Amino acid sequence: MSDLKHKKQGPIAQDANERAIIALTRRTVLTGAAATAAAAVGPVSTQAAAPTRNPQTDKQLDLFLELSAVLTGVAKAKLAPAVDPIKIKLEYLAQAKKEHAFGQLLDLFSRNKGAPNVGDIICNKSEPNVRFLARSIMLMWYLGVWYDPKDLRRLAESPKPEDEKVLPVVISSKAYTQGWVWRVAQTHPMGASEWTFGHWATKPPELDRFIKSA
Amino acid sequence: MCADKTFDADVVIVGSGIAGALIAKQLGLSGRKVLILEAGAEMPPDIDEYMNRFFTAPIKATEIPYTPELFTNRKLTDPKTVNAGRPTVLSLTKDSWLKPEESYMIQDGKKLPFGSTYERINGGTVRHWLGTSLRFVPSDFEMQKRYGRFVDWPLRYDNDDKGIGLKAWYAEAEKEIGVSAEVKDQEHLGITFDQKYPMPAIPLSVVDTTISDAVSDLKYDGILLKVRSTPAGRNSQPYQNRRVCAGNTNCIPICPIQAKYDPSVTLADALRTGNVKILYCTVAYDVVIDVNGRVREIKYIQYKEDKGPRTGSDSVSAKAYVLAANAIETPRLLLMSMDRKGVANSSGLVGKNLMDHPLYLAWALMPKGKEVYPYRGPLSTAGIEDLRDGEFRSERAAFRIEIGNEGWNFPIGDPDTTTLDFINGLNVSSLNDVPKGQGLFGHELVTKLNGVLTRQFRLGFLVEQSPDESNQVTLSNKFTDRLGLPRPQITYDLSDYTKKGMAEAKKVATLIFDRLGATEFTRAKRDNPSQFEWPVGSGQRIDFYGSGHIVGTYRMGTDRSSSVVNADQRSWDHDNLYLVGSGTFPTVATANPTLTLAALSLRTAEKINQALTLR
Repeated sequence: MSDLKHKKQGPIAQDANERAIIALTRRTVLTGAAATAAAAVGPVSTQAAAPTRNPQTDKQLDLFLELSAVLTGVAKAKLAPAVDPIKIKLEYLAQAKKEHAFGQLLDLFSRNKGAPNVGDIICNKSEPNVRFLARSIMLMWYLGVWYDPKDLRRLAESPKPEDEKVLPVVISSKAYTQGWVWRVAQTHPMGASEWTFGHWATKPPELDRFIKSA
Repeated sequence: MCADKTFDADVVIVGSGIAGALIAKQLGLSGRKVLILEAGAEMPPDIDEYMNRFFTAPIKATEIPYTPELFTNRKLTDPKTVNAGRPTVLSLTKDSWLKPEESYMIQDGKKLPFGSTYERINGGTVRHWLGTSLRFVPSDFEMQKRYGRFVDWPLRYDNDDKGIGLKAWYAEAEKEIGVSAEVKDQEHLGITFDQKYPMPAIPLSVVDTTISDAVSDLKYDGILLKVRSTPAGRNSQPYQNRRVCAGNTNCIPICPIQAKYDPSVTLADALRTGNVKILYCTVAYDVVIDVNGRVREIKYIQYKEDKGPRTGSDSVSAKAYVLAANAIETPRLLLMSMDRKGVANSSGLVGKNLMDHPLYLAWALMPKGKEVYPYRGPLSTAGIEDLRDGEFRSERAAFRIEIGNEGWNFPIGDPDTTTLDFINGLNVSSLNDVPKGQGLFGHELVTKLNGVLTRQFRLGFLVEQSPDESNQVTLSNKFTDRLGLPRPQITYDLSDYTKKGMAEAKKVATLIFDRLGATEFTRAKRDNPSQFEWPVGSGQRIDFYGSGHIVGTYRMGTDRSSSVVNADQRSWDHDNLYLVGSGTFPTVATANPTLTLAALSLRTAEKINQALTLR
């Protein structure tokens, strides 16, 4: 039977894990020459809007990112790194802003930012328009898809949600490859691996390496 | 657009899937002029378009990267509007499978749905194969002789003075595809090797090694179970100018870096010989037989847009003809030829003995502290092969066990389903224990989601379906495609022999999960048409899936009254006609069919070449 020494890292897997850790802390690898499918992502998707130096927009973006970090459980610096050639945050802000309840949601967050139960206030105690929009935004960060908040409400209130025909929309190719569920699972999106041969033979890096600030 | 009449084809091949591509390449290398008629779209210069379709698809269905497009205006495309349509897994639900406006195949609905699909495109169905390249075991070729069941093949695994052996052809196919494996892992159940594999085995995953440790002394039916690396058409070294696997976990439906073999590799080689030409968007519809019983020409229709008008029709003649259009489209073509009188069918068996590997899916959660970190590596890297053969085959179906690396993606569409559950307060996954409607967020969401996703795994049992003449492909009398050609109609059921095998598979799954201390979550889904009750009257239901292995509908044999082609895959009725692909398999055994059909294709290429030389 082939080698089963999985308790000790072999040279291939060790190297693969080392390189993967570097990749995690340097998001630019996705746009670099590490030519996986990610290379097909850049030219194909469209950016939501060019960043402007409007203080109002920056403030709103910042609040949106703070809210997203609190709700998703992923550090703000990971959702939107300082050096960010991908800028998925702009696509996501543009998507969320289309909803009427967006202003209300940001307001509610702003007013309760310091409270220890701010997540519960937003996700479970707020009025439905705000509550389900918050959930749509979380799913957007996690899966790269947009669920209409009205559909989420219908699912939540349905006696048989598995029978409901609800289909989200994938926001863009880039959004799919930026999904946080994969990182939370300590892996990569199916179809977009930045990792190298053999890495699957051993445990991945710890969860904190994926979702906490460096 | 007319055929280039100056290209004087020696051989015409219908279908550019793996069988057609391999034969075209071999004949092209031998200096023969080959014309391939491909019903579907042209080979693109790169796979960006396919990848983009995949990334932006809300449901990552098997066929989604490829054309014809599955959806039109957010609904399943009506097959009657498509020139070269094909089935999709998305039309197998209870709401779709009996609706001709959603299902390309007309399922007659009398018994069970046929759950496998295929492509009509450059490279064919093997564009989205998993890559599994197992050889058949010697017993598979002698089910009648050894177990008193079904029929024997007209060839064997080993060369012997009585028959023809596939062993050497398996080695040739492994070289063509580029298979990674170790001989020492594969020498069991009578399989022997004369050559090494082209590349070393793909490393096992954490899921594999965890299961391997747990079953290390486990026996079932007196047979010791062992986790073995699965031979795969997937690079563990750079091969054929293609890259090494990076574990994209996306083999089905598409490898982003072509580390997994697909037939576009062979098509490119074939074109490079300078002797092969491919006509795309070209649908063969009539195999015309002359008064001497030989094929005189093949008629075809051409189109430009998948749902647009036809652009022309013509015919082509050659010295030899090969039908390589898969085990549903080839019988369809044969049956509709000569004004639906049918061709190559003196046995009456064309379209009959349709088989699949009905797949039993079982899924479980490892205990906390024993995470297996799925969604990493190729979709599968190992399996348990020991139950593929034994005396029990006289009573019930054998099976192989495929270990999945993709968590609960196949059983419940994870990680999306569980993520939606946790965020929106649902419990479709059965993993959410918070009160209904209550959404998780922040740190608790992350740790809970991580906690379950890292412990998910699944096993797939590929069960040998018995050949039954009543399982068949015929022509619909009512429903056509956009070209006006009759769509395939399917009658399908599972025999008791097969169901008994699935019931054993269910027991083995639970046994393995128990050994691992894992909690089983397998359950039959409500209102699933691909389901049966077993034991009869017990109220217990078992779900099954198609494996994408379509087999048996123009079987090979030693006798023209009980088979459609001989061991060379040459038609008994028309000596310049060859039928290739897994449609020639008299039995389906338990190995994924691609490697075996590839070996047979290479052998047939040699036979065609010899026959052309003798003319």
